[in-house]
Amino acid sequence: MTTFDTAERRRTVEARPVIAELIDAATVQAIAEEAWISLVGEEEVLVPLPGELPADVLSSWVDVVGPWTGSVVLTTGRRTAEELTRALLRDSAPAELEEEDVADAFGEIANVVGGSVKAALPGQSALSLPSVGTGPDVRNAADVCRIDLLWRGEPVAISVQGALPALPAPRTTPVHPTYENEVPL
Amino acid sequence: MRALVIDDSRAMRRIVSSILTGLGYEVRDAGHGGEALDVLNEGWVPDLATIDWNMPVMDGLQFVSAVRSNPAWRSMTMMMVTSESEHTQIVRALAAGAHEYVIKPFTADAIRDKLALLGLLPQEVVL
Repeated sequence: MTTFDTAERRRTVEARPVIAELIDAATVQAIAEEAWISLVGEEEVLVPLPGELPADVLSSWVDVVGPWTGSVVLTTGRRTAEELTRALLRDSAPAELEEEDVADAFGEIANVVGGSVKAALPGQSALSLPSVGTGPDVRNAADVCRIDLLWRGEPVAISVQGALPALPAPRTTPVHPTYENEVPL
Repeated sequence: MRALVIDDSRAMRRIVSSILTGLGYEVRDAGHGGEALDVLNEGWVPDLATIDWNMPVMDGLQFVSAVRSNPAWRSMTMMMVTSESEHTQIVRALAAGAHEYVIKPFTADAIRDKLALLGLLPQEVVL
């Protein structure tokens, strides 16, 4: 009878890192501040204070696939996302913003922040094109690095969150599978 | 001098175009590599192309390869402007034929410094 040793696979799964082992909140905040200065404006300040997100929120995110797999998600109120869009487009902002304008600008901020987060992670990873809408759910509360900021007094949350559910708790006693035809020694 | 700004984000095209216009460039833009090739095929060949990496339809690396395969476009300088910051990606882009690489987020000064290194600042800016 041929048996397959799954220890290698098991070790790989057990070694899956969570984001807190790879990046900290201060790094994410520094990344966000640099992106804001570049995209939104040199005078624009992100204040590291939490604020209450309104009911009508919009998220933009990019997915990172690599040794750590997850999403970098920006969430803010829809009106704040529109204000961000006007800040990015400046003189070329239309009088009436369309959803496409907001998706483009807010998505590009996620792209730039996500690219910098990817660069801060170990190993090689791939970055998706940005998405905008209702952000992905948190799959594993232990695999999240979230910062809460205020921009022009309005809350902006940035969440670097794993795409995979939590692993089951480790067993305290070894489990040996038994097979129907196994002969006890 | 002419520049073609290639990025799928309209907001990013605006930011890069604004910097280049301020430096004295005549600027056109394109939303992906395919649109950019259409501009070149019209006969509007720029001195400089700034190129995002991740775009739908035709990405930046495919565009760089397409330009390099056409001798008529050899004079064009290609500068990647992208959030792809891994060393292997930079090497891939340069190997494909890109001349310079700017990582997002960037400042206007970073773009200007790269152009100065490439000898692509319009004369009135140099003076």
